[in-house]
Amino acid sequence: MRIDLLQGTLDMLILKALTGGPMHGYAVASWLQRTTDDALLVEEGSLYPALHRMTRRGWVKADWGVSENNRRAKFYTLTAEGRRQLMEESTSWARLTEAVAKVLHARPATQGA
Amino acid sequence: MGWMRDRYHALRGLVRGGQLETDVTEELEFHLAMRTEEYVAEGMTPEAAREKALQRFGSVAAYREELLGIGVGMARERRRTELRDMVLRETRQALRSLGRSPSFTVMAVLTLALGLGATTALFSVVDAVVLRPLPYPEPERLVWLDSPVPGLAPDAQWDLSEAGFFHFSREARGLASLGALDTATGSLAAEDGALRVDVATVSAGLMDVLRARPALGRVITPDVDAPGAPPVVVLGHDFWVRQYGADPRVLGTTVRLDDVPTEVIGVMAPGFQLPDDTVDLWTPLRLDPSRPAENSHWVRAVGRLRDGVSLAQAQAELTTLTTRLPEVFPGAYRESFMRETRFTTRLTPLARHVVGDADRTLWILLGSVGLVLLIACANVANLFMVRADARGRELAVRSALGAGRWDLAWHALTESLMVCAVAGALGLLLAHGALRLLVTLEPSELPRLREVGLGWHGVAFAGGLTVLAGLVFGLFPQTRGAKVLARLRESGRGLTSSRRRNLVRGGMVVGQVGLAVVLLSAAGLMLRSYWTLSHVESGLDVGNTLTFDIMLPRTRYTNYDEVNRFHRELLARLEALPGVSSASLSTHLPLGRFGGCAAIFAEGMSVEADKQPCVTSPSVAPGYFKALGIPLLQGRELTWDDLEQKADGVVVTKALAERLWPGQDALGKGIRGNGKLPPYYRVVGVTGELRAHGLDQPPSEAVFFPLAPAEGRPLWGPRRSPSVVVRTRTSRPESLTPEVRRILKELDATVPLAHARTMERVVSRSPSVARASFTLFLLGLAGGMALLLSAVGLYGVIAFIVGQRRGEMGIRLALGARASQVTGMVVLQSLRVTGLGILCGLLGALAMGDVLGALLFEVRATDPFVLAGVCGLLVTLAVLASYGPARRASRVDPAEVLRSE
Repeated sequence: MRIDLLQGTLDMLILKALTGGPMHGYAVASWLQRTTDDALLVEEGSLYPALHRMTRRGWVKADWGVSENNRRAKFYTLTAEGRRQLMEESTSWARLTEAVAKVLHARPATQGA
Repeated sequence: MGWMRDRYHALRGLVRGGQLETDVTEELEFHLAMRTEEYVAEGMTPEAAREKALQRFGSVAAYREELLGIGVGMARERRRTELRDMVLRETRQALRSLGRSPSFTVMAVLTLALGLGATTALFSVVDAVVLRPLPYPEPERLVWLDSPVPGLAPDAQWDLSEAGFFHFSREARGLASLGALDTATGSLAAEDGALRVDVATVSAGLMDVLRARPALGRVITPDVDAPGAPPVVVLGHDFWVRQYGADPRVLGTTVRLDDVPTEVIGVMAPGFQLPDDTVDLWTPLRLDPSRPAENSHWVRAVGRLRDGVSLAQAQAELTTLTTRLPEVFPGAYRESFMRETRFTTRLTPLARHVVGDADRTLWILLGSVGLVLLIACANVANLFMVRADARGRELAVRSALGAGRWDLAWHALTESLMVCAVAGALGLLLAHGALRLLVTLEPSELPRLREVGLGWHGVAFAGGLTVLAGLVFGLFPQTRGAKVLARLRESGRGLTSSRRRNLVRGGMVVGQVGLAVVLLSAAGLMLRSYWTLSHVESGLDVGNTLTFDIMLPRTRYTNYDEVNRFHRELLARLEALPGVSSASLSTHLPLGRFGGCAAIFAEGMSVEADKQPCVTSPSVAPGYFKALGIPLLQGRELTWDDLEQKADGVVVTKALAERLWPGQDALGKGIRGNGKLPPYYRVVGVTGELRAHGLDQPPSEAVFFPLAPAEGRPLWGPRRSPSVVVRTRTSRPESLTPEVRRILKELDATVPLAHARTMERVVSRSPSVARASFTLFLLGLAGGMALLLSAVGLYGVIAFIVGQRRGEMGIRLALGARASQVTGMVVLQSLRVTGLGILCGLLGALAMGDVLGALLFEVRATDPFVLAGVCGLLVTLAVLASYGPARRASRVDPAEVLRSE
């Protein structure tokens, strides 16, 4: 099964991934995979444009560093701006899912009172 | 401090787009490598692992493209913000450092703003009057046609005759089209009485020549321009907006123009005007080609050269066509007339005709103001140099701390650009104000004045100058910046280099003084011209006199008697006003509308045209000479009785009487305006010397004819649009204008009144005086500024040099020199510099005088008074400017100096 991500949702997930500290793109991808039990079948490549766009917006900071296996890799760090963004996004996401859940659990109105 | 270096690296990093590509590639490759390794660790072959990693990743190429796009955008943004930050930082720094020396900043800004403002204002005038082409399509192909008749008078120029106009229209192959025009003032019936309007009466051909387009309806076309066609009018766009609120429904309505019902058939496109006149209404000229030819020249003609035809070719053709006039119109043009008057037809480029000789004056003025700008720049450069010296220590310290030469240069450049930018903005404001002032002053001299304003040309000009100045001032002192480091090592007083710098400074002051001499001499010469001119005896008394123009509608005032009755009634009522001592009217107004020139014939002289004097012949009402304060040397004025009896008396000016009848009594002599028709008019009066054509002209030769011709001698039609003059007993004659309006309205509400002004104003607006006062005003301004700036420059340099030589002064004083000797020494030095400047300037002044030549009136360019005065002024200035520093130098305490050594 596969979930299509809404615009901006992927950004939110990446930001959430980065709350644990600086990560390179591969780590972000792996973390998402683990956390969602492979439910999100996004192309891994699509993480990178998202990461770069967020860098451009100043939500994350990118620096070259050395990976755990001693390779040059680009690490992304959450900025204060990014943290704020994550807060906003997750709040509205929570509201949205709550509203959707309410609708799905409601008893449908009967025809003709 | 090494921010220049940083900038360099940052920029290089961005310029090398390769960096970005490697980064992206490396990042993606890292990801794929990690994923591949993971799969290998799970037991796959490397190839299969790689394959699977790629599959999971998606299109590497597409993502790479996307990332590169984002990266380029980011780089661009970063560059922008970096640049912005840098500019802000530098600006702040420059502002701080300028703020630390406010006197320097204010001085430099004001000096430059004055120079830039004056130059820009004048450039805008030159641009509007001389440089900007006429507002018609292909204006360079437009030509003006007229006929010089040097046989009558050296500078006599006639317009075309109707016959000549049709002849050229038909025959001239070199002209694509030819148009005729005449201008007049008309009277348009409006709700509140009559409205005076400027009417251009034009042939359909002129619309073609000037490429006229209607905004509404149509322009003057051949069908409405035909003889006998019903009267029509096309409104000028401005007039339509002003008078009818741009209401399109005015089209097709009937208005009363000069009391004739006239249909409005169109509105001209916005901005369409005659080349040298504003026009409210356009009406057809309706020349009739079938009328018998007359040798009467009144048709003003503009033509358009055919494509590919040069002016010279067209001119050659017209010259040939002109020589054929006698065979084509034998009744009107005789061979003898052509020969004696040396009659030709001349083509002038229209722009040249419109601008006339105003461009020369303007270029001279622009040059003068440009010199002021030069002086201002020299001053500011000096200020910057002094500042660079004063900050030598600071800069040395900075560079010792690792600031590169570039950093220092950059600081200086930023500062100077800031100063220049502020000065430029101020200068634009000044220029704008000056131009507004100029347009209100309205020097009659400047054609196309209404087009003058601060346009983008002027702004671009000022901007260019500003940037140029900024670069020069910023970089000029830097050429010596390299020595800064060296100077730190040599205890801060390198005598040899300062000696050389003083030489540079001295040289600048010499230049400034020289330029000031040139400008002040020019101003002085103009001043003398103006003074001489304003003390010329005009021969009339213009004080307390009001004048205005009226215009009687042709339909209502058809003959001499009706016209004269109105005039007599009007003058009688005006004279009855309290405070009015006399009133009269005439077709001409001395120093105002006093032109024209026709051959006259005196009794007992040969009637060969080229022997005849060419004189102005106004028609005057009784009381004319009294009202204008023109004394009569002999005889009397004409009276209303003379007029009613159609008597044949005329009054001549002294100059004419002396020419026609030297040494004889002029009274009773015969004179007439036509070679073939006796009887003669008889001279009944001779005026004093009168300069009615212009104060710079020789005494006028004129015959004053009566308002209506004597019995059987019709030479002119009824005088329907005269200028009225009213001599009052008040010093403010213009206060009578409302009364005059009331009287006119009571007499006939359809008669418009125009141009009410005092005679004094007429004189001050007359071309010779106006030109002299306009150029004098501007040259005086330029000279004054030059003087002020030179004084400032001189003072600054002397003060600086004295400051440098404190030690020497101290030693001299310690060795027993008297204070006055030291003072004298400094003053002498300033005089030396000034003297050298004066010498250079005098040479320039002589050259300038030659250029001014035409503008001068009875003053030679080498006028000793002016030159001596200017030299005296500058010497005084040199002494004054150096006195303060000299006094300071003489009060140096030797002990203190020795201690500080």
